[in-house]
Amino acid sequence: MVESQNLLTEVESKELLKKAGIPVVEAKLARSKKEAISISREVGFPVVLKISSADVVHKSDSGGVKLGLANATQVGKAYSQIVSSIKRAYPQARIDGVSVQTMAAPGVEVIVGMSKDAQFGPVIMFGLGGILVEVLKDVSFRIVPVTERDAREMIKEIKGYPVLQGYRGQKPASIPALEQLIVKASQFVEKNPQIKELDLNPIFAYADKAVAVDARIILE
Amino acid sequence: MYEEKLKEFEPIFYPKSIAVVGVSATSIAAGSVWVSDLRSAGFPGPVYPVGASGGRIGDLEILSNLRLVPGDVDYVIVAVPRQSALELLDDCTAKNVKAVHFFTAGFSEMDRQQGRRLEEQMLETARRRNVRIIGPNCIGVYCPEHKIPFLTGILGEQGSVGFISQSGGIAIKLVTMGMGRHINYSKGISFGNGIDLDASDFLQYLAADPKTKVVGAYLEGTRNGTRLLNTMKEVARTKPLVLWKGGRTEVGAQAAMSHTGSLASSAAIWSAMLRQAGAIEVRSLEELTDSLLVFQQLGHGQGTRAVIIGGLADGGGGNSVAAADACTENGLKVPPLSSQTKQKLADLLGEVGGIFCNPVDVSQAQFRGLPTLLQAIDLIVRDATSDVVLIQEDAEILLPIYSRKGLEQINDFIIELGRRQGKPIVIVLPPGSAETGRLETEQRLLAASVPVFYSMERAAKAICRLNEYSCRHEAKRTRGSSAQT
Repeated sequence: MVESQNLLTEVESKELLKKAGIPVVEAKLARSKKEAISISREVGFPVVLKISSADVVHKSDSGGVKLGLANATQVGKAYSQIVSSIKRAYPQARIDGVSVQTMAAPGVEVIVGMSKDAQFGPVIMFGLGGILVEVLKDVSFRIVPVTERDAREMIKEIKGYPVLQGYRGQKPASIPALEQLIVKASQFVEKNPQIKELDLNPIFAYADKAVAVDARIILE
Repeated sequence: MYEEKLKEFEPIFYPKSIAVVGVSATSIAAGSVWVSDLRSAGFPGPVYPVGASGGRIGDLEILSNLRLVPGDVDYVIVAVPRQSALELLDDCTAKNVKAVHFFTAGFSEMDRQQGRRLEEQMLETARRRNVRIIGPNCIGVYCPEHKIPFLTGILGEQGSVGFISQSGGIAIKLVTMGMGRHINYSKGISFGNGIDLDASDFLQYLAADPKTKVVGAYLEGTRNGTRLLNTMKEVARTKPLVLWKGGRTEVGAQAAMSHTGSLASSAAIWSAMLRQAGAIEVRSLEELTDSLLVFQQLGHGQGTRAVIIGGLADGGGGNSVAAADACTENGLKVPPLSSQTKQKLADLLGEVGGIFCNPVDVSQAQFRGLPTLLQAIDLIVRDATSDVVLIQEDAEILLPIYSRKGLEQINDFIIELGRRQGKPIVIVLPPGSAETGRLETEQRLLAASVPVFYSMERAAKAICRLNEYSCRHEAKRTRGSSAQT
């Protein structure tokens, strides 16, 4: 909570990323139930609603995320539920509203992150999402600037690489799309040294593209 | 690339004259050791001892101040307490000194505030006076060609391996272990805290140095990571660069902080950085010397398909099985011999008691005499299914069977065969109960440019590293020249 003033919201983060050419599932801020419903209609159902507040770090743990909302009624209900659970969990939090985005089709979950090293500066991390990164620490690193070759090597370096090549009938993830995303993330943080941490988690990788579903930027 | 460094660093690796500050006629001062070491090594220029109390050391007069040295001095070795550092740098200007090596310790590695401040002042003075600093907290230059020994007079033969080390102790081990294994150095440098000239500067010099063909490095940290990464990328493009990062664990990193004042980065970040640079990472002194040896002896990798002769005599069966595992687990491929070669071996040695696939056990030859053994080795080495040959020789078994002379004959045959075939042959000589004979054999092979290792694991790892480098950096050359496979 100490760094909260430096934490950009998902909507802000994704706007910056989109401008930098990094594919994101765009999120729009709704300040009211009515706005949430009209944005939902605009982007197309099903949608995802997430709390938008720089003071809330763990959005889903505190009831701040609702997935797979299929119609206006569900969106309206979800809006009220999110706002009230956040008010309970974080009574001090300043709430901007709720972000609305289309619900991305399931893909292979990967993450790309950036943190700063005392000796080498910004470092890009790549890994598979979920348990593989959290428990097994199956991630790879490269120092910024990351070239296409570096990106390719860091993707192939993780033990879970076969998962990206497709298993149990799941389509393989596009390695070139992931390479591009990593290189663009590297260029983005290189151009913006005021970024202290970047977290694209999860990214959904598909057979033909890769899209950041959630994103977080912390400034120095 | 980096050609400007050759001229710039000439006074460091090829100084015309050296002054040693901190020499005493009566007590045992570090400076005195340096003076006698340089002189007994045969350093080709004048050596000027400097020490406040004056007197003589051997046939040389100890000058009470650096300014009293007649004429200019290229290189100064300093072994006086840190309080005198700044004044000394001022004296250096008067003598047109190009570089000062501070053996003196007790700077940022000891107390971060005062030590660091003094280092900053030294650097500022040196910049103003146009003098370069090596160290502090280091043992400086090693250059066998120019007869500059390491501390305590260590001086090996001149060779083609260059190295940099943040630690003096590791630098000495590299040279002494190298002397035992025919790893011969072009130049070496221990630069300690590296407040002015650091790892990047010396790597650039070694990249440009025509005498250096392969570069080894021991580092504990860096004060300029970006520059180091960029430098290593350039260096690795021209020469193999093998790096050992000390302080990989939290406890190790703590030790590195008080040793050379190095900041901590996670081991994973260093490993990533080294891969990114195209350098080869090793994790111990053994791995570093093994890699330098294989690069020095073989130059480049021809492929990872290995044929293994697990045994030349009794005991080859189990050794072959173990060798197959060791090679496979460490990245080599062990494909079967061609059926013609297998048949020829069976005809030569008889079907019973041998393994003729790969690994190969030719111990049956001991019942048919030396010429049969040599013929078997010849068949195996010539077989086209392999890029490299690994042969295990157990001195305590071979000596009683073939005698010392017989073992010499075997190895001379292997040396000659490898040369003729243009196929690298690597010998594994595990330490055992016949050390005198084993060492003799090792020296004979090493002198003939055959790499010798103490276990299959170590041999396999080193060969893989050699190939890894060749694959990554020599790919362009082969792709352009021919489509041979």
